Amino acid sequence: QGLKPIVSTESPALIFGTTTKLASDLPATDSFLGKNKVPELQKLFQKADGLPVHLKGGVPDKLLYRTTMALTIGGTIYCLVALYMASQPRNQ
Amino acid sequence: MAHQAHSYHMVDPSPWPIFGAAAGLLTTSGLITWFHYNSSTLLTLGLLSMLLVMLQWWRDVVRESTFQGHHTPTVQKGLRYGMILFITSEAFFFLGFFWAFFHSSLVPTPELGGQWPPAGIKPLNPLEVPLLNTAILLASGVTVTWAHHSITEGNRKQAIHALTLTILLGFYFTALQAMEYYEAPFSIADSVYGSTFFVATGFHGLHVIIGSSFLSVCLLRLIKFHFTSNHHFGFEAAAWYWHFVDVIWLFLYMTIYWWGS
Repeated sequence: QGLKPIVSTESPALIFGTTTKLASDLPATDSFLGKNKVPELQKLFQKADGLPVHLKGGVPDKLLYRTTMALTIGGTIYCLVALYMASQPRNQ
Repeated sequence: MAHQAHSYHMVDPSPWPIFGAAAGLLTTSGLITWFHYNSSTLLTLGLLSMLLVMLQWWRDVVRESTFQGHHTPTVQKGLRYGMILFITSEAFFFLGFFWAFFHSSLVPTPELGGQWPPAGIKPLNPLEVPLLNTAILLASGVTVTWAHHSITEGNRKQAIHALTLTILLGFYFTALQAMEYYEAPFSIADSVYGSTFFVATGFHGLHVIIGSSFLSVCLLRLIKFHFTSNHHFGFEAAAWYWHFVDVIWLFLYMTIYWWGS
């Protein structure tokens, strides 16, 4: 979208100044259980692409969102139908 | 583009609150159709959508804090207040069940044989598995504090070990309680003794499972370098919750298991 990719090996400047330091003040005990991917993720989620946070992770986010929406909205309709039927008098 | 001139977090528009409300509707009406019409479709839908909403909502909170930096000290203070208030509300929730227990056990009715434990009820020996469970939860309180100190001191490996141990102790507690439930000589239907025992300890067990899940998420985040030595509120919230669960157990043990036997 015409945005210049920020390529940097340093921790990227955070948009909001906070007192949060990166995990770099934790001594990197080599690769004990994985590398620190937080700086890359910070870059990804601070991209100025206008996406809200719940969709900012890309396609997997969209799939999960649509699944949740289908289940809740579909379920709500099913629920209203079930409650309508349950409220009908039953003749023995 | 103008930046905010305050330290609060104005969140992006999100679908999770309304989807969460819908999930609540499905779960509650699902219970009705399950109880009265023997159909578990709605209930399954409800629980599934509740799970999906929780996962995505909390995933977004992690994104907003760790990845986007929105959790300023001001925001964190608000979260602290929030967690304290939530735990307080849970304390009141349990208070109700303790009230019910004392209401029935302090003045046992003639139907119970005018005694507590009621006639015919063989309570569990408080010095057997329940005592072990008490030791387990107390130990887990120590290990979670150890984990916290390791985090503030920047010792990643030790923090991971301590938090893992805490979670394992939690699972051990749950497994032992499940076995106790299975082996107990009385059931929930056995007079008000069974009702008060299983409802109080049952809700406690559910909270142990919730607390263990919260701690497990923290372990995952700890491994993924999300926490720093001076900013790790997610972990602190989980630790507070875990201590709360421990305290509730201590009250349960002293009142229902010990005094009530």
